[in-house]
Amino acid sequence: MKPSAWNEILAPGAVITDKKTLSAWAAEQSFTSGPRPACALKPTSAAQVQEIVERANAERVSLIPCSSSAPHFRGDTAPEFADAVIVDLGGMDKILRMDVRNKVAMIEPGVTFDTLQEAAHKAGLRLPMPLVPRRTKSVIASILEREPHTIPKYHWDSSDPMCCIEVVFGTGDLFRTGSAAGPGTLEQQWASGQAQKSPMGPSQTDFMKIMQGSQGTFGIVTWATIKLELKPTAQKAFFVGGECLEDIMDFTYAILKPKLPDECLILNRVALASMLTSTAQERDAKAKDLPNWILFYAVAGYEHYAQERISYIEADIADMARRHKVHPQTGLKDIAGLKFLARLSQSSDDPYWKIRHLGGCQDIFFLTTLDRVPNFLAAFEDECRRHALPPDDVGIYLQPTQQGRNVHVEFACMYDPTDAAAKDRIKNLYLSASRRLGDMGAFFSRPYGHWSDMTYAKCPDTVKALHKVKAILDPQGIMNPGKLCFKKGA
Amino acid sequence: MVSNDVYRALEDALGPENVSQELGVIDGYSWQPALNLGYDAWCPRPEAVVMPQTTEEVQAVVRVCNRFGLKFKAFSTGWASWGSPGGPGVIQIDLRRMNRIIEIDEKNMFAVVEPYVCGSQMQSEAMKRGLNTHLIGAGPNCSQLANATSGWGYGWTGLYTGFSGRNPMGVEWVLPDGEILKIGAPGTNAQWFSGDGPGPSLRGIMRGWGGAQGGLGIFTKCAIKLYSWPGDAREPHLKGTLTDIKGEVPATHKIYFLFSPSYERFADLAYAIGNAEIGYIHCKGAVGAMFGLLAPRAMKKLMANPVVRAITKAFQHMTLFALACHTPREFAYQEKVLRRILDQTESVMIDSSVLPFHAAFWWGTHRSIFPAMAFRPGGDFLTSMGSNEAYDCSVKNAIESEKLKREYIDKGVFFEDMADCTWGGIYEGTSNWGHMEQIGMFDRRGKQSQQGRFDYLDDTMKLTIDKSLAFGLSCLGFDLWKVFGPRMFNYHLWQSKIKQAFDPNNLADASFYIPPYDQVCADAADGAEKDKDAMPASPAP
Amino acid sequence: MVLQDLMPDMNGCSRCSNCKWVPHLQVKSWRFAKVCPSVDRYNFHAYSGGGKMIIGNSVLSDRSTLNDTIAQIVYRCQLCGACQVSCQVYRDDIDLADVLLSLRSSCVEQGFVLPEHLDMIESMKREDNTMYMKKADRGKWADGLDLTDINQSKAEVLFHAGCRYSYDEDLRSIVRGQAMLLKETGLDIGIAGMDEACCGGRAFEIGYQGEMKNYAEDMASRVKASGAHTLVTPCSDCYYTFKYLYPKNGLDLGVKVLHITEYVDQLIKSGRMRPTKEIPLKVTYHDPCHLGRRGEIYKSGWYGTNKLERPIRFKQTGKMGIFDPPRDIIKAIPGIELREMERIREYSWCCGAGGGVLECEPDFAAWTAKERLEEARATGAQALVTACPWCERVFKDALAETGDTSLKVMDVMELVSISQGGTSYGVE
Repeated sequence: MKPSAWNEILAPGAVITDKKTLSAWAAEQSFTSGPRPACALKPTSAAQVQEIVERANAERVSLIPCSSSAPHFRGDTAPEFADAVIVDLGGMDKILRMDVRNKVAMIEPGVTFDTLQEAAHKAGLRLPMPLVPRRTKSVIASILEREPHTIPKYHWDSSDPMCCIEVVFGTGDLFRTGSAAGPGTLEQQWASGQAQKSPMGPSQTDFMKIMQGSQGTFGIVTWATIKLELKPTAQKAFFVGGECLEDIMDFTYAILKPKLPDECLILNRVALASMLTSTAQERDAKAKDLPNWILFYAVAGYEHYAQERISYIEADIADMARRHKVHPQTGLKDIAGLKFLARLSQSSDDPYWKIRHLGGCQDIFFLTTLDRVPNFLAAFEDECRRHALPPDDVGIYLQPTQQGRNVHVEFACMYDPTDAAAKDRIKNLYLSASRRLGDMGAFFSRPYGHWSDMTYAKCPDTVKALHKVKAILDPQGIMNPGKLCFKKGA
Repeated sequence: MVSNDVYRALEDALGPENVSQELGVIDGYSWQPALNLGYDAWCPRPEAVVMPQTTEEVQAVVRVCNRFGLKFKAFSTGWASWGSPGGPGVIQIDLRRMNRIIEIDEKNMFAVVEPYVCGSQMQSEAMKRGLNTHLIGAGPNCSQLANATSGWGYGWTGLYTGFSGRNPMGVEWVLPDGEILKIGAPGTNAQWFSGDGPGPSLRGIMRGWGGAQGGLGIFTKCAIKLYSWPGDAREPHLKGTLTDIKGEVPATHKIYFLFSPSYERFADLAYAIGNAEIGYIHCKGAVGAMFGLLAPRAMKKLMANPVVRAITKAFQHMTLFALACHTPREFAYQEKVLRRILDQTESVMIDSSVLPFHAAFWWGTHRSIFPAMAFRPGGDFLTSMGSNEAYDCSVKNAIESEKLKREYIDKGVFFEDMADCTWGGIYEGTSNWGHMEQIGMFDRRGKQSQQGRFDYLDDTMKLTIDKSLAFGLSCLGFDLWKVFGPRMFNYHLWQSKIKQAFDPNNLADASFYIPPYDQVCADAADGAEKDKDAMPASPAP
Repeated sequence: MVLQDLMPDMNGCSRCSNCKWVPHLQVKSWRFAKVCPSVDRYNFHAYSGGGKMIIGNSVLSDRSTLNDTIAQIVYRCQLCGACQVSCQVYRDDIDLADVLLSLRSSCVEQGFVLPEHLDMIESMKREDNTMYMKKADRGKWADGLDLTDINQSKAEVLFHAGCRYSYDEDLRSIVRGQAMLLKETGLDIGIAGMDEACCGGRAFEIGYQGEMKNYAEDMASRVKASGAHTLVTPCSDCYYTFKYLYPKNGLDLGVKVLHITEYVDQLIKSGRMRPTKEIPLKVTYHDPCHLGRRGEIYKSGWYGTNKLERPIRFKQTGKMGIFDPPRDIIKAIPGIELREMERIREYSWCCGAGGGVLECEPDFAAWTAKERLEEARATGAQALVTACPWCERVFKDALAETGDTSLKVMDVMELVSISQGGTSYGVE
């Protein structure tokens, strides 16, 4: 199919064929790369998306949905095969509805974090944020990929804060999940007090969950409702330092269990310094003064007796701190807690903090439980030694998720991409450490790029089940072929 | 009855003591009056009953069924009609021998359980470790695994402990073809702490808002989320069994009856409670139903008195609300906020700690004991409405269905309970979503309720559609996918495709789920769906 | 009561399976949450209280018929009554225990009887006891105690030993001690000696309901002849028969009936009996079913048919059984520490002996007893104390089987006797 044929569906200018622009889709920050796509399409409505998918089915053209703008890091939008077509949803960037009473926003895929956060703040609400995402990151893409956010008490289930979605399956069928499915039109639902807030269903299946983590292999989401929370009227933020993770681990468990903190995350000094500095020298200088591990948490007050809420939680946490022999402080060296908290409610300044200092970064991340992290750390440090990666170039981020029941562990391995040797070292580390951690029980729940083979080899039963789902939702295999366990010919 | 070959194969798999086709024995699996949408309390009789003890034994039974082309239906604790066969020719799999709590991960707040661990077992073990579990309203006699994997339901503590379908983590599942699928982290030998991935979450196949009700295989292990128990890490010392319970209530726990002047203010109160992040239990109270449950005979006499009726109606918009706090500071703060919210919503409260039955009420709600007392007035009850959505919609469910129930009470179909909406609340703290069920109590042994209750259910279904009240219990009857599927993006076709893909021989009894896609299409071709707008007749017997 | 009359009860079953569990507010652990030995041992729902109601319903609805297999299920039940207690936490309109009794009666009527039960009935008919022993030997247990023989003179208190205590030589020291304890307190105690007969309760329980009437009339005439104002029995089964089965079937003994623990508790509280010697022992108390929940007096006076309208005071909840007197006795003894098991009072786990199970399914009885012994051990107690010869028999046998010497099985009265300085039990 010639790229120009898409003009039959889309407006002039919505079919991108410029080679330079297209090359950006092929080469990205990760070690995954692929051939340049044939073109990129910029639909503006669900109807157009549906037409695109239908046409792609008819013409057997591969579609790669993408909502965020470059730079891309995970490899999930890099084509595996030639002649793929990027469906760039960045132009669908409207906030369709903001329901303040029910604290939910209906947004299109191109809406970025800062856009939504600003609108939420205006409404007296807030969006729980992932850890300082890149400015170009789509909210829907992030949540569809189960990227964790920084307020574990609002993370009840893995799908949060996603509520309902509208999706065009790989078959070309339009579908709505959760309570948005009906009965009744959206307008009728709103009239009866609904807000498309219930994420489950409809009925006895949950296609939103199936879409999550699918890396665009099942369909294209055209809008989603996102759960928001009240914007605090007062906040206080604390750091707790530790020379080893064990120093702060039990205390973290203690405060998470009764859902006391709002934001709650653990960083190593490199990660914290990286977020707050511009150059490698500044980063190293700042990191030098910091404890090896930093637990950061905030407490908040909302509509009622905000300061009293903060006070009682602060006092209760102080009791816990005494029992665990840790010392929460509102500042760490020259880093004011509230200032850092404000930083967490926005996207990253450009360039993105992970690539700001050296130019490149390869993340290694997985799920486990907090108490098992020290074992993984030891193994990872050993891998770093083996691959001669300086520890000062690895930012580590631990994000308790599902209210503390598990934890997202992220090693941000920063490197200079212009240094071929360094790049090789990182690639080898990435492959070797991932394999070792996976064998130790690290759960690569979002198996991008090279992780997919490694991970799916451990669960042939899951692969078999996923292929059955794929055959239903994308029987011709046009959606982002080659990703996950959907290898060509499989 | 099954053939000798089948029987021998089942005996070989499980041992003769765990297989039976004795009529009196298998009738124990046929009698299912609870939430039974048929006229007869007897469901279709299973051909045989088997009791596996391990996942491998479950797999062996399913393979026997596949080998001989027999349908099967599993249940855990086995209450309510959807646990029994929906038609003839079904092997009933009773999972009561799979009864272990395999692990309680105290720090990471989850437990791994087998099907026959009931709610009170799980809760008692969790409490010893400073944790709690979400018990659905059906009660602590129900399986915690089934609650998470297969059922639906609001639990008293849903405000703090979430919702059934949101609580499973890793799951072990014997698929209808006999293959074992481990969902999430356990699939890659990474323990049980996550049920999503790698990649797409197969939890979305496992269940939706409702579970597959046995129509898509058998869940043999499930990790379920636990939540903080803000009390002593031990069982309370109680004397008594229910309403006579005497015992201590922790100083930082208290239960309140909150009364609002209207449903609008009732809803405002719920939203305010959620937003303020206070509370452990939030539930719609119903004075009429509460009297009916606690003193059914007195209720009948009292409701004959118009003055009493008027007073009772004045207290209709009641919230049952509890605080359970970790520290006195937290308690003082939360109670103070509660008082302010009550002022702002023109509501008032009765602090039940001053009442003699406080302990009974607190522990009874905490263990979800009371809903099963809905059997007291008439021996049976049904439930309806109860869609999950923003709480304003739930309240609308209540308002609309109360008018309807009033008609049926006046017709003598249901016992008098002032037509209050009886059950439901908000879930997950700030989320402001929840549901409201409309329960009708009746005596199955009497005649007046037989046709009437089916007419009522039909009417609630129409109400759901006419008023766009969201997908709820009134949408889950036999074959109601034929009504709702076409109105809801043909979800039934997608669901039936899943059924077909995962159950190629169509052997997992799908009476409470959906037939395979080919069958759905064939039915449609036969004209079963020729008038999609028509309301169905009474649910199939 | 005829099974047909209980059809509304059976139709009322919602199959909630609460009859399998301890009332849920009293579930304290995973391990000891279950309350029905029958379904816990044999698993199929038919073995539970609710399952047996379904059997009755099925039979009366002509869906199935009684046969040997079903009769075996019906008889694999100690009639401990725990299912009824748990059921009635929620329900007012189901008398589950009555259904279990009537189902057995139906089995007998249709000829589905167990050979062991036939032997027992034969023994009762021929020798007036359930123990297959000679009537002439019935009074031997009291040889040498010099108790008043009511056949010869009147007594204020009639002591009815019951079949098990009369013939079980292993338990003889206990019953002798009990009688001596009362006598030494200065009470006018009479016994019927070889003329004492079975209460007939066991016949009723195993389905021969009509047989009980003869024994009741015999018992009444003996009581009358004795001139006693109080009938005291150390046997829980007899106690249940006197307090529940007789009045439920319109039979009246015309005398105040007390279990020995009630009587001794009163004596201690009134100061007539003073256990003063310290016993440094950790004990746990097992509630015999027929003294506890099943020992609740029959609540007569309601004659309606629709149980939904039956006032609650007529409901047999089991709560008015004898639970506190034995505990109060134990607590009155210095040095003893009472450690409660998880399943106690009206939701107690059965010993395993009742309902004719000990006779026809000894393995099941032992299995049930071992389950209870494990629960007792979990308390850290050194002795499992109870107040029923049937419980003591099955516990002692189960304990012997396990070879466990860390736990003793004792009667409450043994403790009283030791604390009073008595040695008549032969225990230290």
